[in-house]
Amino acid sequence: MKVNKNISKASQLIVVLILLNTNLYAQKVVRYDLYVKDTLVNFSGKEKRAIAVNGQIPMPTLTFTEGDTAEIYVHNQLKESTSLHWHGLFLPNKEDGVPFLTQMPIEPGTTHKYTFPIIQHGTHWYHSHSGLQEQIGMYGSMILKKREDDPGLRAGIDDIPTVPIILSEWTDYKPENVHRMLHNASDWFAIKKGTTQSYAEAIREGHFKTKVANEWKRMLAMDVSDIYYDRFLINGKNESQLSQFKAGDRVRLQISNGGASSYFWLTYAAGKMTVVANDGNDVDPVEVDRLIIGVSETYDVIVTIPAENTSYEFLATAEDRTKSASIYIGSGIKQLVSPLPKLKYFEGMKMMNDMMKMNGDMNDMGMNMSLQQMDMNTVMYPEISGEKKPMKMDEMPEMDMKNMDHSSNGSSNTDIVTLNYAMLKSPTKTTLPASAPVREMRFELTGNMNRYVWSMDNKVLSESDKILIKKGEIVRITLFNNSMMRHPMHLHGHDFRVINGQGEYAPLKNVMDIMPMETNVIEFEANVEGDWFFHCHILYHMMAGMNRVFSYEKQEPNPLLPDKNWAYKKLQKESNQLHLMAQNDFATNGNDGMAMLQNTRWSFGSEWRLGYNDEHGYESETHVGRYLGRMQWLMPFVGFDWRYRKLGHGEVEQNIFGQKSTKDNRAQFSVGVAYTLPMLFILQTEVYQDGNVRVQLRREDIPVSKRLRANFMVNTDKEYMVGLNYIAGKNIGFRTHYDSDMGFGVGLMLNY
Amino acid sequence: MKSIKILMAIMALLSSTAINAQIKNTKTESVKIYGNCQMCEVTIERVGNVKNEAEVDWNKETKMATITYDANLTNPDEILKRIALAGYDSDQFLAPDKAYAMLSECCQYERINKKETIMPNSSMKMEKHSEQPVKMESHANHGVEMGMKNGEKPSENIQMQNAGELQPVFDRYFDLKDALVQSDGKSASTAAKALVTAIGKVKMGELEPKTHEAWMVKMKALSENAEKISESTDADDQRVYFSGLSQPMYELMKLSTAGPTVYYQKCPMYNNGKGANWLSKESSIKNPYYGSMMMTCGSTVEKIN
Repeated sequence: MKVNKNISKASQLIVVLILLNTNLYAQKVVRYDLYVKDTLVNFSGKEKRAIAVNGQIPMPTLTFTEGDTAEIYVHNQLKESTSLHWHGLFLPNKEDGVPFLTQMPIEPGTTHKYTFPIIQHGTHWYHSHSGLQEQIGMYGSMILKKREDDPGLRAGIDDIPTVPIILSEWTDYKPENVHRMLHNASDWFAIKKGTTQSYAEAIREGHFKTKVANEWKRMLAMDVSDIYYDRFLINGKNESQLSQFKAGDRVRLQISNGGASSYFWLTYAAGKMTVVANDGNDVDPVEVDRLIIGVSETYDVIVTIPAENTSYEFLATAEDRTKSASIYIGSGIKQLVSPLPKLKYFEGMKMMNDMMKMNGDMNDMGMNMSLQQMDMNTVMYPEISGEKKPMKMDEMPEMDMKNMDHSSNGSSNTDIVTLNYAMLKSPTKTTLPASAPVREMRFELTGNMNRYVWSMDNKVLSESDKILIKKGEIVRITLFNNSMMRHPMHLHGHDFRVINGQGEYAPLKNVMDIMPMETNVIEFEANVEGDWFFHCHILYHMMAGMNRVFSYEKQEPNPLLPDKNWAYKKLQKESNQLHLMAQNDFATNGNDGMAMLQNTRWSFGSEWRLGYNDEHGYESETHVGRYLGRMQWLMPFVGFDWRYRKLGHGEVEQNIFGQKSTKDNRAQFSVGVAYTLPMLFILQTEVYQDGNVRVQLRREDIPVSKRLRANFMVNTDKEYMVGLNYIAGKNIGFRTHYDSDMGFGVGLMLNY
Repeated sequence: MKSIKILMAIMALLSSTAINAQIKNTKTESVKIYGNCQMCEVTIERVGNVKNEAEVDWNKETKMATITYDANLTNPDEILKRIALAGYDSDQFLAPDKAYAMLSECCQYERINKKETIMPNSSMKMEKHSEQPVKMESHANHGVEMGMKNGEKPSENIQMQNAGELQPVFDRYFDLKDALVQSDGKSASTAAKALVTAIGKVKMGELEPKTHEAWMVKMKALSENAEKISESTDADDQRVYFSGLSQPMYELMKLSTAGPTVYYQKCPMYNNGKGANWLSKESSIKNPYYGSMMMTCGSTVEKIN
């Protein structure tokens, strides 16, 4: 409704413009030229490749006033294709900037013109929607100002100085490699973050039982985020200052989270902050001590500078609390804010154990858990649930009663006001037409951390058709998060109402953060035809397939995308790519290794053990399997084994079933099934073409200590192996093992 | 303390050679760091020093610190920020108030760099008067209890109104609930004993007919659960019976129309997501099933009276 009204308003204005050629409401064509180019950056001490637009990271802030017409020319000077998506904007579908969905990719060396009327106001942002380009620099603020005669102008909110703030993160690893490592369940990031949660650490913290229960439920170490970042950035800098402000000033920060996968806690050194808008939509002012901004959300927050010659730290701390970024507001001496204390991971693990059923489902709490009101992670926050251990005596040699009081007050504080969605209230009614037909949908957000599969209703985009909706109807969506991670779900081209108990004044958003076990309801009016993406905005979840497309029935063809069916297949393929992993142990007794290509459901893998002489033998096993079920614990496969080993003259090996085989040049096809048992043991049963049966039990990567991993294998061919490896670097380790065929070996392990 | 001093002396002796051997690309600067005593010195130097990167030597008489650092790896701001986060102001950074407050009394130096607040910042007020009951509604119950005014304080009504014969039972229940909020098993046990006694003292004849009827039905569950709680001093064990106790207690409170306002609240997580309820005289959530672990988890499901 609002959109239609605004469109007609905008068209009226254009008529006025043509007739009178005046600039009454500052309605005009605003042109930006964006040159997208490869660059080298140094955020961490090392030079790395990034993408800069007009020579800068973040991309330049684009500013428009409601009523303007935007003309944005994108000049692609990269060696790869690109695109730009205008996050949170209402616009014609072909301007939305999703390659293979609303346009073709912008090819290298070409220029693409985006043009659309600006029919809304608020803090928004823009980013590349091609591959993982957003991670390496392609994000920027997009500020849409209210018109000067807007009846919704708010005194003290809309007439104070504003500063666009865009949060992001930087990793020295190539994002494609990060993505691959996530799919391969590499725990290198956990090692870098110090969150391995190994048995040794569990025992030290008195949480051995918790760890066992966790593995019994087939879970890997828990974390609130997946990736280790080298730097967190505010407007492209780890630390910066806004020295133009002085005591008494009130400043409105227009904050967008342009991070690829990081949620940020926002805190301010001068105390409370006032939240006045969210996702570009005004909300009634709310005073809070802190808030968490989900990936791709925007918040407008007013802060004050209460004292002379002092600047106040505005701190953005990554949700995993490994690092943070600061901007000092004001000039003079820098007043710091207390950093958020480290997470208590084993408390979180214990909580997860309680919340997850044996079959991998989360407890469904219905509407009891919604709108970020009940943050399960609170058990991990020392500032709320108390410090892990009482303070060490050597750190507080003269602990008197006063300090004791302080530590108890300071460390378990339940009076901290944290923003949640239930506190957001629109200043105007947001009700949708009562007469419109309502279409109800329900999505279960599903995932599998072990294989980094993220999906909706256990289907990734490549397994789903477009969801058809009709123009004019109201789409009401119930979302239940049945996965272990939170997901910021983003809808393109529309704002939705969040049903949060505020009745007619339900806030409008375009990103909905859903914590594990939460159920939330959103609704929107289908009012702009086209194909609109609906996806998790954690970049790596999106690229793993956690996407859907809402497609309007009977829509006009998109001139930028003549063959939509072909394009949709391309889009589907993009988020279900094959990932390679490989490793080899160059050991004293032979080479021991494997290589695997995997996507969401399929696995093509080969293992080998190559001795240095005929007595030790050579063998390889190749399996092609398909993972079944939501948790993917079951994998039927077909295989081919080849082995050559010189045995004594005429010697025959016998398995425990009494079946005989010669290892001397044996080549066999097999069918079998692998199943992940509690404690993450993999039970593999295989029948070979000669009728021989082999049952094998193995476990890899038992986290003994931070960098030490144990593994073992035993099977009915009376073969066994035990090993221990030390992870020295991302791609390198040392391994020692004993193998029943090849004996004892020590080696250097390389992995990719 | 003595051993620290000796250690310091040895450090001082060795430092001139040791530092230069370890830290490369050295730069040295002299900066002011505010502090008082020997203890301050220990803390300032401990948090300032980073092996092979930075070395801080603070003089408690002059308040000046000599910082020696590897200019390729760090800078004075980074070092001073670490020191400020431990509670010590410099001319570049002011420590967070919380960090300063955590310092020992002898370490609480005069903060001459900290300027007076010139504007009436509402947020400042909130912090100073946090002991007042006029608190912000905590997260979890925010949506539910929106309509309730901050000044409305149910506990004020308690002396004026009385649920009659059952009032002592209710009061002891609230004592028990408060003990569990604190995760204090011993107090909970004591409160439960008092509850058992109070249950025994109820004169059924004086109850209203409906309440009488309910009391006959519920009494057994009440006293059994209360006894179980009194027998244990482990809050986690007690909580199991507390959920069994809260249900019949709720039925009774519902019938006692004369009492003060009571909030029937629910923690949906407890008992593997089956949930459990409790009663409270306050609208804000203080969860007795998890205590400080999940203090504000839950919501009010019913306002009684």
